[in-house]
Amino acid sequence: MAKILQVRNIKKSYQMGKVVVPALRGISFDVEESEFLAVLGPSGSGKSTLLHIIGCLDRPDEGEILFEGINILSLTDDGLAELRLKKIGFVFQFFNLLPRLTALENVKIPLTLAGISDKEADERARNLLELVGLGKRLNHKPSELSGGEQQRVAIARALINNPKLVLADEPTGNLDTNSGWEIVSLMRKLNEELGQTFIVVTHDPQIAEAADRIIYLKDGLIEGIKRGLR
Amino acid sequence: MVSMAWLNLKQRKLRTFLTTLGVAIGITTILAMAFLGEGFRGEIKQRMEQGFELDVLIVFPGSFTAGLREGFSQKDVNYIKNISGVDLATPLITIPLGNFSEGEVKLCNKNGTKLGAFTVGAVNFTEIREVLPQRFNLAAGKFPERNETKKIILGYKASVINETTVARVGDNVTLIIPMKTPTTTLNFTFTVSGILARGGTTGITNFDYWAFISIEDALSIIGKGKEKPYQIILVKVSNIQDADSIAKEIERYFGFYSVSVFVPAAFTRQVNNILSLVQMFLIAIGSISLLVAGVGIMNIMTVTVMERTREIGILKALGAKNRTVLSMFLTEVLLVGIIGGLIGEFTGCLFSYCLAYILNGFLQTNRTELLERPESQNIKLTPVLSITWMIIAFAFAVIICIIFGLYPARKASKMNPVEALRYE
Repeated sequence: MAKILQVRNIKKSYQMGKVVVPALRGISFDVEESEFLAVLGPSGSGKSTLLHIIGCLDRPDEGEILFEGINILSLTDDGLAELRLKKIGFVFQFFNLLPRLTALENVKIPLTLAGISDKEADERARNLLELVGLGKRLNHKPSELSGGEQQRVAIARALINNPKLVLADEPTGNLDTNSGWEIVSLMRKLNEELGQTFIVVTHDPQIAEAADRIIYLKDGLIEGIKRGLR
Repeated sequence: MVSMAWLNLKQRKLRTFLTTLGVAIGITTILAMAFLGEGFRGEIKQRMEQGFELDVLIVFPGSFTAGLREGFSQKDVNYIKNISGVDLATPLITIPLGNFSEGEVKLCNKNGTKLGAFTVGAVNFTEIREVLPQRFNLAAGKFPERNETKKIILGYKASVINETTVARVGDNVTLIIPMKTPTTTLNFTFTVSGILARGGTTGITNFDYWAFISIEDALSIIGKGKEKPYQIILVKVSNIQDADSIAKEIERYFGFYSVSVFVPAAFTRQVNNILSLVQMFLIAIGSISLLVAGVGIMNIMTVTVMERTREIGILKALGAKNRTVLSMFLTEVLLVGIIGGLIGEFTGCLFSYCLAYILNGFLQTNRTELLERPESQNIKLTPVLSITWMIIAFAFAVIICIIFGLYPARKASKMNPVEALRYE
């Protein structure tokens, strides 16, 4: 299977006052198309930093990332934004929905940013919300939805532009066990049905087991890679 | 973008209302000052045009610098008449009435009652009517025929004192001039040929208090042999634009500082310039309120950007470019500017009328004899709504909003998405 992502020797450190704290200390791995990959590690292991770098939200100090063969670190800020808009979808731990917009409007944001007509955006967002099981809650605001429902809206939003890669940062971290499982199953289902590549960062080994492959991260280094239970 | 910005503004109703109010107040002040200034300028201009015939130059002998000189000769008058651009030049002799060292020079009716005149002017009736047509309208009688002597035309206030008529058409009036050596008085009797209609306008002078006789009669009073008998020459020009150059030509002929030429057009132009300056000053003061509104916008926007840091992070994570975020915030301030500007245009018009009403009321109650003579009209301030000023003020509002909104909007657009997403 073709490689969608090649991560080569990524290093990143943060300046905390006068102290330099290394977050990633040389990370390399590949991701195949349509793979469901979990990155597992304790808090502070650098998994969120890794996700931000892969998601073009942050730049590493060193290393190389090839996304579909293109070195994304050579892109400008606008180029990275374009890549995020068209090829990458994000799901966050705290959902990160805009509170004043309805579920439907939240899902439409990436399409609006991409300049898609409102009519088409509306149709696509409705279909996707239907797919994640929220067909009846289109016009509810985030505050009127449960945590699980909010995360479903966030997933629909991540998928609306048909991205090649969906990145999820602790997507179940703010949900109860049941809702968490539902979300993981949903992502898994979408991965199988739509064929998108998923990288899920989590600290929960049970969630990670749902993946095709698990990367164990500790202190900014890969501790091991193993196949998931699927 | 616009609908999104509108939605954002609607979310923070009170904040949006207050910032918009700031802009509206700024525009209101600017426009009220501009409209009232324009109205005031118009009023003064109109009064000056009423008070001064803009196409008539007044030539006096001597100057402030060189002192008074003797008068003008007929040759001087003829020279001015022949300057190109001059329609007509007519001389004027004045015989002031009042107390002098020889005694009182006065104009009395047949009962010996003093008329209300201050000055007797000697004119060529045909010419003066051509030069100052508006000031020589008769209420009664007729003008003396050419070569007709011993006739007098009275100004309205010369013939009517405190609503009592002291001289009518056909009455005889006497000009009494006391002499020192020998101690005697010279009496010159005239028949009233006509009474001028009430003028009431100020400006060069108020002819209501004048009496007019012919040049010939005046010459026989002051002495026929006098070489330079004329004290004033009135010069009517065909084109007001030429007034300055004709004045220069007259000065050149007599020698600089030997004459003074009063050019009403230049004078009114000068006054207009001063009023423009005053207007600009008022507008500048008004503009300060808009600047304050701008600072308010910047303040609110900075807070808003801070509050919406997470939202900015989300939008950037979803693929919004820096310029998208920039234009999102700029659209919001632009909407504030446009809405505030439009409201300000409306309230500015309204406020200028309210202010004019209040000021007019104030002028009415504070009228003093010192400021206004009873016969002059009241100053009435009417705002003049000017489309140009409305456009300028509106553009100013929008520009101020953009300038003050730019910094916070840029700050938002430059945010690091990861840090923005972490913001609590």
